Amino acid sequence: MTVNGINIPNASIPPDLQHQVAVTTLDKIYNWSRSNSLWPMMFGLACCAIEMICTAASRYDLSRFGMEVMRPSPRQADVMIVSGTVTKKMIPQIVRLYNQMAEPKYVIAMGACASGGGPFKEGYNVVPGVDKFIPVDVYIAGCPPTPQSLLHGLITLQKKIEKEHIPTTRWYKKEDVVEIPIPVLGPDLFDPRKSELISLETHKPILVEEPVTESGDAA
Amino acid sequence: MNGFGIVKGLFVTIKHFFTTYWVDLFHGKKNKTRAARRGMVDSAGLFTVQYPEEIIIPSEEFRVIPFLIYEVGENGVRKYRCTSCGICAKVCPTQCIYITRKKDEVTGKPILSPEEFYIDTDKCMNCGSCAEFCPFDAIKMDHDFEIATYERGETHIYSKEKLGKPLEYYAKIRPVNYASEEAVRHEKASVH
Repeated sequence: MTVNGINIPNASIPPDLQHQVAVTTLDKIYNWSRSNSLWPMMFGLACCAIEMICTAASRYDLSRFGMEVMRPSPRQADVMIVSGTVTKKMIPQIVRLYNQMAEPKYVIAMGACASGGGPFKEGYNVVPGVDKFIPVDVYIAGCPPTPQSLLHGLITLQKKIEKEHIPTTRWYKKEDVVEIPIPVLGPDLFDPRKSELISLETHKPILVEEPVTESGDAA
Repeated sequence: MNGFGIVKGLFVTIKHFFTTYWVDLFHGKKNKTRAARRGMVDSAGLFTVQYPEEIIIPSEEFRVIPFLIYEVGENGVRKYRCTSCGICAKVCPTQCIYITRKKDEVTGKPILSPEEFYIDTDKCMNCGSCAEFCPFDAIKMDHDFEIATYERGETHIYSKEKLGKPLEYYAKIRPVNYASEEAVRHEKASVH
């Protein structure tokens, strides 16, 4: 951020103190420092994860934005990059990790699958968009988004953080932050315990109804 | 000699540091091809693409979300090339395209133009089948990847107005494809 960016507009600084003193608000300085040290959580779900790894590697280098440390622990992470298809088997773990993250916390839905299900939107085992369960801050379209696209998404998130106002953020309010209940995988259409019965029923020969004559005896 | 290895390693680092300035001096800061050369085998100096300042210009066949080509007619009216034949909607593997055909208000006969054209970018997998199959060269794949949003309800379903881009834009991002398609068009026009 430049000097003009951090100064509040119309600040009356005497001319001999220009470029030596900055007049700013607490919001600005706080958000500026926060947005430049976003630590992503280190987990990948599908093919988008490859692009995320590429973004973290030397050619695109996340660390230029203060995101150098991909934290393997949710307690130390600020932003969760949901990179890839979210399956029904995986969503309890994602919600649990989100609950375990310390606030302030942000979520980026990377790619078509995480934002809205993608090509697997109507799949039996896919959650159509991770925002069905956890609040998402930035959506990045693309299948998969290129590293530059992901960087653009992260810069978009930084811009969002810079606009935040401390009294209105949800983690400084007095009431407790309600945890998101961890979803439970419901009963499937196919119950493996009944597989023998199902296969018996499936392979049963088709009964042909025999024509009934007028006298009632089978012909 | 003890410690020589460390000095050697540090020398490699400082060599890269200075060659970065040396190479960038020759290429100039405004040279846009420099970004794509970073990290290649035959280039020296800094490895990292300085993304928001310098952007790798995507290769011609790079695909993001499709867009509809229009030509600007009289009074700035958009003349879409699309005839709403619906081939793109049929070949789309994820079924993310929705089209309705325009109808004449008086006679009720269909006009060869789309009334509505929606693409759900949450489903689109950027495969490029629609652009491949379109017989009128009306739908093409875009290069603009900076499309991150804060919300996905309204912004992620692209309407006809949002998808429409002028023909000049297409000629700019895909010059080789554009030239070959225009050559075929001229040939057909001269035959008839």
